[in-house]
Amino acid sequence: MTEPFLQIQGIRKAYGPVVAVENVDLQVRRGEFLTFLGPSGSGKSTTLYILAGFEDPTAGNILLDGRSLLSIPSHKRNIGMVFQRYTLFPHLSVGENIAFPLKVRRLPKAEVDAKVKEMLRLVRLEGFEDRRPAQMSGGQQQRVALARALAYDPPLLLMDEPLSALDKKLREEIQYEIRRIHQQTEVTILYVTHDQEEALRLSDRIAVFSKGIIDQIGTGPELYSNPQTRFVAEFIGDSDFLPCKVLSASDGHATISLGDGRALDRIPLHGFASAGGKAALMLRPERLRLARISGENAGIAATVSDITFLGNNIHVSTTTDDGALVSVRLPFGHEAIAGLNRGDRVQLTFDAGSAHVFC
Amino acid sequence: MLLDFQRLGWWKYALLAISLLTAAFLLLPILFIAALSFGSSQWLIFPPPGWTLKWYADFFADPRWLQSAWTSFQIAAIVTVLSVLLGLVTSFGLVRGKFLFRETLRALFLTPMILPVVVLAVGLYAFFLQIGLNGTMLGFVIAHLVLALPFSILSIGKALEGFDKSIEDAAVLCGASPLEAKIRVTLPAISHGLFSAAIFSFLTSWDEVVVAIFMSSPTLQTLPVKVWATLRQDLTPVVAAASTLLILLTVILMALFALVRKGLKS
Repeated sequence: MTEPFLQIQGIRKAYGPVVAVENVDLQVRRGEFLTFLGPSGSGKSTTLYILAGFEDPTAGNILLDGRSLLSIPSHKRNIGMVFQRYTLFPHLSVGENIAFPLKVRRLPKAEVDAKVKEMLRLVRLEGFEDRRPAQMSGGQQQRVALARALAYDPPLLLMDEPLSALDKKLREEIQYEIRRIHQQTEVTILYVTHDQEEALRLSDRIAVFSKGIIDQIGTGPELYSNPQTRFVAEFIGDSDFLPCKVLSASDGHATISLGDGRALDRIPLHGFASAGGKAALMLRPERLRLARISGENAGIAATVSDITFLGNNIHVSTTTDDGALVSVRLPFGHEAIAGLNRGDRVQLTFDAGSAHVFC
Repeated sequence: MLLDFQRLGWWKYALLAISLLTAAFLLLPILFIAALSFGSSQWLIFPPPGWTLKWYADFFADPRWLQSAWTSFQIAAIVTVLSVLLGLVTSFGLVRGKFLFRETLRALFLTPMILPVVVLAVGLYAFFLQIGLNGTMLGFVIAHLVLALPFSILSIGKALEGFDKSIEDAAVLCGASPLEAKIRVTLPAISHGLFSAAIFSFLTSWDEVVVAIFMSSPTLQTLPVKVWATLRQDLTPVVAAASTLLILLTVILMALFALVRKGLKS
């Protein structure tokens, strides 16, 4: 196996007694789109700033193509970056902004002009080169920032929540632009966001950050279907948790009992289980089945507390007999919903493989 | 809005009258001086019995007046350059730096603004006597720099605070060294602050009289000192002409300031 393109090895960053990033290990393939996903303060931006050279790690190393980046100052790392805030140079035109990194590198004028044209075409802003940044919308400014960061063909592009200042519709539009540009240029991208939908839409792989460490790295479907921690389960996709008790565990699976005493068998288990210990059962709203109780109850008994119409989905909120809230999402027109009312008694069932137990 | 001008009723006219009176109070002495400088009366009689340009001719014919104006200009120009440069590096330290007592230091830099000028002048005089700087150009420049620097630190510091450091970071990642990024990106972006600093520094030195009286010698006088000395010795309308010229330069600079500021903003 060839050496990975980018290796982040045991990075730790502490500000005095406060640890921002702890033991971050990552390997990134050439051309990969990897996203750091996590809430604010989880260490994802700090890791990115260490890569950019704006912060020095307390410990650990970063290798790009086998060479350590740490002793190289930011302006010689040849890394591209798009920032969260608008960072176009206000006194320069769009064309001059894109030309800036090329002029700094003292490229001949003809080459600079050709590259500026090519970059404007890449971000679909031909004809905008004489505009001032202040005359452009936020989305356009970020596209110019992207063109500027890619103008010098950096092997690595860092993006620090570049779309967080834009409204939702524009955000989605530019997400597709970024995806297209990634495919077109084959540049390796490290992307930071707190928006799970954005991460899922863009990335080859996602590293989920929580409290300074990486909880799990994997593709979107891997994180969704097989979350290793409760935090990941909560962050990727929707989920509800029911308190339960572990009866026995073996081979990564557990037998648990819910409040009503009924046992459930062979549910994927994460964390260290002790027999009789308390745990949480995770359920996905879209993986639950709902039926009215008729005769014997075969699932979790609950009462419908609310029904919300969400376009192509119907969201049914229920309260279990133990008082826990569990949501069920069903496609519009699903037979289980016909005539369903608030206060109706229902039973919730699911496949053992779609649920997870976290200790 | 709570105080809508359109809904004030007859208060509107009262407000207008008060504003006009205030403006007149502030401007009339200046207009008065300007009128006297064109008056033909040697005793500064108002209203002037006739009009003349004689006092201006006298001003430009007297090498002592011209010499003092030239001295004033030299000192103000050097003070401007030094004040902007020092103000720039000080502002970087005060805005970007993270150290203990930063706010205390900032307040310290601004104290010349609130300290009574005469106290400062006496202090500088006593100190410069010890080191032999009284009556020298260097002494003048240092003394006026003390007065001008707070204005530079205020306006450059404010511009720098309003400038997002991420923009400079972006320039660095683009391949510019930290110094190059500051020169090519940060300075142009805060140029309006540099410009205000320059104008206010120049004006602070240009029409300063209290400190200048202490610093001056019979051979080295600034224009305001010359005006003051002439007023005490022989009351001549040339003083009015000199004052009018002082005011004129100030007005021109302020107008230029407003124009360039408008240009830099857009």
